[in-house]
Parts: sequence; structure tokens; C-alpha cells
Amino acid sequence: MFIHNFKYAFKTLFKNKVLIFWTFAFPIILGTFFYMAFSDIEENEKLDVFAIGLVEDVISEQNTMFKEAFESLSEEGENQLFDIDYVDIDEAKALLRDKDIEGYVVLQEGVPTVVVGENGINETILQFVVNEMIEKNILMKDYFQYKPDEMMSFLEKVQSFAVNIKDVSNQNMSYTMVEYYTLIAMVCLYGGVLSLHAMNQNLANMSNKGKRISVCPNSKGILILSSLLASFVIQLIGLGLLFFYLICFLHVDFGDRFFFIFLLAIVGSLAGLSLGVIISSTIKQNEDVKTGIVIAFTMLGSFLSGMMGITMKYIIDKNVPIINYLNPVNMITDGFYSLYYYDSLNRYWFNVISLFLFTGGMLIISVLFLRRQKYDSI
Amino acid sequence: MKKIIEVEHLTKTYRQKRAVDDLSFQVYEGEILGLLGPNGSGKSTTINCILSLLSFEHGSIKIFGEKMHPNNYAVKRNIGVVFQDVALFDELTVYDNIDYFCGLYIKDKTMRKEYILDALKLVGLEEFVKFYPKQLSGGLLRRLNIACGIAHKPKIIFLDEPTVAVDPQSRNNILSGIEHLRKNGATIIYTTHYMEEVEILCDRIIILDKGKIIASGTSDNLKSLANIEEKITVEDVDMSDKKLEKIKDLKNVENVLYCNNTLVITYKKGKNNLPTFIDFLKSEKINYQKIFSERPTLNDVFLELTGKELRD
Repeated sequence: MFIHNFKYAFKTLFKNKVLIFWTFAFPIILGTFFYMAFSDIEENEKLDVFAIGLVEDVISEQNTMFKEAFESLSEEGENQLFDIDYVDIDEAKALLRDKDIEGYVVLQEGVPTVVVGENGINETILQFVVNEMIEKNILMKDYFQYKPDEMMSFLEKVQSFAVNIKDVSNQNMSYTMVEYYTLIAMVCLYGGVLSLHAMNQNLANMSNKGKRISVCPNSKGILILSSLLASFVIQLIGLGLLFFYLICFLHVDFGDRFFFIFLLAIVGSLAGLSLGVIISSTIKQNEDVKTGIVIAFTMLGSFLSGMMGITMKYIIDKNVPIINYLNPVNMITDGFYSLYYYDSLNRYWFNVISLFLFTGGMLIISVLFLRRQKYDSI
Repeated sequence: MKKIIEVEHLTKTYRQKRAVDDLSFQVYEGEILGLLGPNGSGKSTTINCILSLLSFEHGSIKIFGEKMHPNNYAVKRNIGVVFQDVALFDELTVYDNIDYFCGLYIKDKTMRKEYILDALKLVGLEEFVKFYPKQLSGGLLRRLNIACGIAHKPKIIFLDEPTVAVDPQSRNNILSGIEHLRKNGATIIYTTHYMEEVEILCDRIIILDKGKIIASGTSDNLKSLANIEEKITVEDVDMSDKKLEKIKDLKNVENVLYCNNTLVITYKKGKNNLPTFIDFLKSEKINYQKIFSERPTLNDVFLELTGKELRD
């Protein structure tokens, strides 16, 4: 019976064009929209590598600290900022005059001085970088003059910290990634619409088919469970398609913790499923109203967890943290963020367990409502 | 005869309104029992209570001698239901719809296939197996709805207004299908507000009004309650008050009604008053377009018992 009902529940859900649009097509459309809207913004925000000249005197050649700093900023890769020409002062002036470089830095007796041709973004960046170097240099010199013993331990800390950051994900989380994660969380919760529909097919007070199914000689629990499993499988297919599209077509890089991301999405989908189940079993309204409630809950949860601006998440975290602890969308997004921001998986697992507890709680309440239910009216 | 369903003192209230009021009746093996009554008389509520879909305040329901409850799967296995509203999956073909509902009762696939083909034949949908419900007309949808309810060959079949809003061809198909089911041994409980259907189909009829049984018995038994034997209708006729008075004085005439050029005379006795009345019209030189005679209908019974028409 389980397989028979699962087979047909899967078939009817899969052929339901409206449900399939919201489960499969809508997230992909929204993901594409995010890609089109935000990738340009990020592209524009990226700093272009620009050419500068570096002029050294003899003393500076011996004091390599600043030189090394500049070299590190001119190494090819994501962090490259400068393309450096090592020149003498006359060549630097000529290059600047011909606008082949944006400016040049003169390391005189180990201290950098900036010369720029005109005022622009690149010139400002060069000036800013050099000022930072000088300030940090002064700060460190002052500090270690008084506490020379701590120099080694400080350097070790700096080194280990740097290694930690590198191990976490090899990249920083962009604004677009925040949107993609919230999108995935939203899709997980939208699974509630599928489970709600699957439930309604089995409830005598919700559909004529439910009436007919309710008079058949089968356990309501088995029928509901098999229908829910069908809706969950469809939800997972939808999620799989979304991930496939994001990775293969939009080239979204989920880093090296994709397994954890997908695992969290699966657990999140379970939470979405349980949301549909509890709304279906406890609220005495028609299917459209119930669907509206699932969508409204999901949208509100997404908003509070930062879909329309990450600031909202911080405001809630700071002022009413209990909301975020109870908000399944936040549990999912917070789990995603934790994979980026923390080396340890403690916070990730905390969110996974929270989602399991949310799911369990919702299902237990639903079972209590559905158990031996007879209707006053249908 | 063996009692298949026993309903005793069934009472069901919706928000202080009695939908079913102390209802007691039995259904016997192999019969077609008609539940006749106007909309809101409690027919569907009674069926939903019998099927354990609805809770009720008082009374008891036994099917095959066993108390009916939602988890009595042994009893439920032998029940088929065709609800008033069409209950089908738009996403499944005709064949798959029947297979799904039949599969809730019959596990064996080979047997199920046989049963499905029988059901398709019974309702005349053999040519539409690959169609989707949206591609079917209203009448064909109703037939599919019936096929889904009876494909597993149940011993008891509840048919709740299965012919509402169907074309005459589909109605005839449905009615002959029901006859066929009875011949195969099924016990049928048939609710409708079409009195012609219960007269044709049912062995016994229960007439309900406001949740109560107001009369029950065979069609002839019930018609005897109407207190009339014959009804003569004359259309497009001009009548004066004097002539109407003369008609009232004719032998066996119970009542005379004249309205919109139509004359209706009811007779308390005798079944062949038409020739005498035609002679009367000739003698009085009364012209008319059409005249016909009827035996009392169940509507007349209902009118007699409640003072209102069945379809009011």
C-alpha cells in the first residue's frame, strides 16, 4: 500500500504544473535574477590592478620590509592590487607623464613617499595603502620597543590566524552568496507547499479525494507518510536541480564544504515539509488559504533572516534573538554562514540539530491533531 | 433477509441545527434502498455518518453486524462509495485514476487490471482510458467517478446523487450500470432528489425531510399515502367559474386547480377517469389543446406529507 500510494502521490505531484513551477522553475528564475542583478554590482566593486612605479635608494634595498609588502600586493591572484615597475626616479617621472603608471612610490631611507599624477580612485588607493603601511610600521616599532619578548609569540599568532582564515573556505562570502543562501533556505521552506498539498489529498475535510481515500481500508498514517515521502523526494529533486543550475550555469562557487551545504538543505527541506504538515493538520481553512500561510511564513522568515538585507538579521540577533532561534529560515542561513565564518562546525551542527528539533516538534503536534480524527463537518 | 446495515437512533447536529434526527432504518442484502429528499434533508450527512467520516451525538451503526468505526478495515474493504462531488486526480488518466482508487483495496495487480477493465466496461469508458479528466464531458466525468468507487467490486455501494447534472445518455448509462451491479449481488444505498430514478431503481424508498424519516416502503406503498389515484391535466383551456364548479361535482373528483389556462383535477378513487372526463368536456363544448392522465408520483406523496414540493 505504501508503494502504491507513494507512486501515485509522486505522479500527481510531479504532474501538477503549479506546484512544479514553484518548486522547480521559480527558484531557478529567482537565482537567475539574483545573478543578473548582483553580479554586475560585484564586478563593479572589484578593484582593478593598476600600474605603479617603485623607486628605491641603497638604504631601502637593505631594509626590505616595505618592498616585500609591495611585492605581496603585486603577486598574481585575487589579492593583486599593483603591477609594479622597478625604475629609477627619472624613468618613474617619464612613465607618470606618459600616464603609463598611476603614480610611483619612492623608498627613501626605507620610508615610502607617494607621487601621483592626478586625483582618482587608483591614486587614492595607492595613497591609502602607503599611509597604512607607515602607520602599522610605527605602531609595531613602538610596541616591540617596550615589549621585545612578545615579538615572536605575536608573529606566531599572526601566522596561525592567517592559516585559519585560509582553511575555512578559501574565499570571502559575497553579497550574492548571501542571497543565494537565503534563496536555498526559502526553497527548503517552500517544500511546505508540496507537503501541504500532499496532506490535503488525504484529509476528508480538505478534498473530495480525501473523503474517498478516508473510506478505504488503510491506515491514514501510512497513506499520509507515503504521500509526504513523495513530496519530499520531489522537493529534493527541485533542490538538486537548483544546485545544479547554480553551479553549472551561474558558476556559483560553494567552496569545499558542499557536502555540508547540501546536508543542511536536506534537513531544511524536512523542516519545510513539517511546516506544511502542521498548517494542513491544525488550521481549518481551504487549501489556498493554507498555502498562503506557508508562503507568508516563509517570506517573513526569509526577511527576518536577511533576504532583503543582512542588517535585519543582525538587528534581530541583537534585540530579539529568540525569533532567530525559532525561525527555520534563519537556522538554515545561519548554518550556511557558519560554514564560511568558522573553522569549527559547532555552530553548523547547532543549527542542524535546531532544525531537527523544529521538524520533530511540528510533526508531533500534527500527529496529536490527526490521531483518530473524526470530523464534525466535511 | 439478512440485514447488512443497521442504523439506530442516529442523531447529528451542526451548530445547533439537527441535520439527522433520531434516524433508524435497515438495509437488506441485495436490495437497492433509495434515500429520497430535498436538498438539506440529511441524506448525505446520514451516509457520511454511516461511513464514519462524521462524528455524531447519538445512535449506533452496524455494518455486517459489526459496529462501524474509522479503523474497521474489514468492513471498509467491502464498501464502495461514489460521492456527490467528483473526486478524481486531474493529473492522472482515466485508467490511472481507477487503478489508484482500486489499488487502495486490491493489492494483486493482475486481479486489479481485470477489475479495472470490468469497471470501464460497466460505465462505458473503454475508449477513454488514456484521457485525462479535463478532456472528459460532465457526464463522462460522473461515469469515471462511479468507476473509481465501484471498481474493487464491493458488497455495499453508496451512491450519493450520482446523476446530478449529467446528460440523458450518461444518466441512462449510469442507471443501467447500477442495475447491473445489483444483479451481481451488491447492496446499494442510493440517495437522490430525482424521484423518477428511485421509482425505476429502488426496491425500497425512505423519504427524508429535515433529518427525519417521513415515510418508507416500496414505491407503490408510498404512492398509496398520496391519497389520490389519478391526476388529469388539461392544457390551454378556457374555464369559467361555473364550469369549474360543475367539475368539482363530478364523481371521484378530490380537487380542482385552474391556473394559467391549465386545469389539474385529482381523483381520490378509480384509475380510469379520463374517458368520462373527455365526455364531460365534449358535452360542455370546452375546447382544449392537450389532455393527459398520470398516476400519483412520489412528489405527490411528499406534497401530501409535508405540504411542499420535493424540489422546493
